[in-house]
Amino acid sequence: MQKNGPVALIFHTLVLAFVLAPLVIICLVAFTPENTLSLPTTGLSLRWFKAVFAHPDFVTSFWNSIWLATLSATLAIALAVPAGLAISRYTFPGRDFMNALFLSPLIIPHLVLGVAFLRLFALLGATGSFAWLVATHIIVVTPYVLRLVLAALSGLDRSAEQAARTLGAGEWTAFRRITAPMILPGITGGWLLAFINSFDELTMSIFVTSPATVTLPVRMYMYATESIDPMMAAVSTLMIAITAIAMLVLDRAFGLDRILVGQR
Amino acid sequence: MAFLTLEGVSKEFGTFTAVRDVDLKIDKGEFVSLLGPSGCGKTTTLQMIAGLVEPTQGRISLDGRDITHEKPNRRGLGVVFQSYALFPHMTVAQNVAFGLEMRRVPQAERTKRVREALSLVQLSSFADRYPRQLSGGQRQRVAIARALVIAPPVLLLDEPLSNLDAKLREEMQFELRRIQRKVGTTTIMVTHDQAEALSISDRVVVMEGGCMTQVDAPYRLYEQPSNAFISSFVGKTNLLAGTWRRNGASSAVDIGGVLLEATAKDIPAATPVTLSIRPEKILLREAGTGRLDGRIASRFFLGSQWLFTVDTPVGIVTVSAPNQGGEPPEEGSAVGLDWSPANLRVIADTAVAA
Repeated sequence: MQKNGPVALIFHTLVLAFVLAPLVIICLVAFTPENTLSLPTTGLSLRWFKAVFAHPDFVTSFWNSIWLATLSATLAIALAVPAGLAISRYTFPGRDFMNALFLSPLIIPHLVLGVAFLRLFALLGATGSFAWLVATHIIVVTPYVLRLVLAALSGLDRSAEQAARTLGAGEWTAFRRITAPMILPGITGGWLLAFINSFDELTMSIFVTSPATVTLPVRMYMYATESIDPMMAAVSTLMIAITAIAMLVLDRAFGLDRILVGQR
Repeated sequence: MAFLTLEGVSKEFGTFTAVRDVDLKIDKGEFVSLLGPSGCGKTTTLQMIAGLVEPTQGRISLDGRDITHEKPNRRGLGVVFQSYALFPHMTVAQNVAFGLEMRRVPQAERTKRVREALSLVQLSSFADRYPRQLSGGQRQRVAIARALVIAPPVLLLDEPLSNLDAKLREEMQFELRRIQRKVGTTTIMVTHDQAEALSISDRVVVMEGGCMTQVDAPYRLYEQPSNAFISSFVGKTNLLAGTWRRNGASSAVDIGGVLLEATAKDIPAATPVTLSIRPEKILLREAGTGRLDGRIASRFFLGSQWLFTVDTPVGIVTVSAPNQGGEPPEEGSAVGLDWSPANLRVIADTAVAA
């Protein structure tokens, strides 16, 4: 390994500071005893965390978002894995179209998607249903999963699967026992990305959520348009903490390197 | 009745013909190598036998049963892949047990057979390791054990030794042959390494441009190559271009005015020919006492033997001589070259073009 020169070190430090500073600041602000968004100078207080739990709609929205992200990420996997297999292994009419179709949500602005779905749901009379909300999120997160699955499949030595076939495994068994475990890092990475994207999604969700299905980002947005107080910082801090804990657990259990990079 | 038969088997990929009209009969217990340069269709042939590639034309039968269109998982053949294709997420024992598991062999018997297979390849103490914890040679042996544990009627090896270093490759050649002898499985090995093919096979199939060009026992292939490509591909040889001359009972190859006595059947006079002579068939003599005089251009010491390049009136000729312990002729010294005319091979150039 080559040692970093002083210029490179300064550069890395600046990049890290740029990425981490807002997160650190928001976490500090959450502990302010004041009524405004400010760094705690007079003392530390948990009053804004208490305020979060005094708003039951925030708690409901939190669970809405967790369910929504879990369901849409999982269903996106169920869609993207077979699609990835078909796209990477076979040539068939409409293959490029299929690839483009699955990836197109990446290039359409979420605002446009939101308005379009709002109109569509009004026509279908489907406004406010949680199932339809899940459907819209699947569409938005599938490209991420598909990309990672395709990357995993393209780096895969197919002879392991062929070996399984010659040893007596049918096509499905060979996939389940050999191919799927070998592309698991891609699948898990895709699931995580999809989960995070769905959990974060605001722009489109504003249009397609109903009072019963408001997600956490939408709830935060609605709250923030009315009043800006340190409770937002407390919610953000909680979200950062939950994500960090989830990552830590995952790393301890499976190793993040193995899941995301496929290092063995 | 041959055990494994290929009749008129061809494979086209679009407009490209990878394998053309291969006819091959292999007996039970035989060790056959498919030898050829890369792109000659040898691996495609192997994959068609394994069922991983479907032939465009022709018929493949195993023990009297037509398997041309049978799925690979129904053929029950053992395949060892070039990359070994071990399952990275399974231990050595799980890898070896996979084929038995697919056959629903009861647990007790499975354990016993896995143990036997691992002891056959001398890896008994590695059962609980993962493939990533093994060396190249060990992985290779796991792949062989995994293929053999299902007691396949035919074992197919795709360049099994090409990923190993030179010393290990030599050891594994003998190891492969030992295992094959012990188990008695009919074996087909694909290789581009002629030394490997010659040393361990009962018969060698030479393939060029998708076609089979010669099928013979290794020593016959070496001594009687059917064309110039084979004589230069199988072992080292000197190839000298000349013209065939016949004068009553005597015949010779005319190379730029130098006549070298040789015999050949069915070659009309004045035909352009290629003369092939192996370096080890040429003896070094005192200058003026051999069939041809020359001057040593360079010499290389290879341990067990010396390799000379000799500048002669017919061109540069490579000569190898066993190391007898003494000092051989210096570079630049004049020598005579001698050989037995029976060791010359005359190949008509039409056969070279074919």
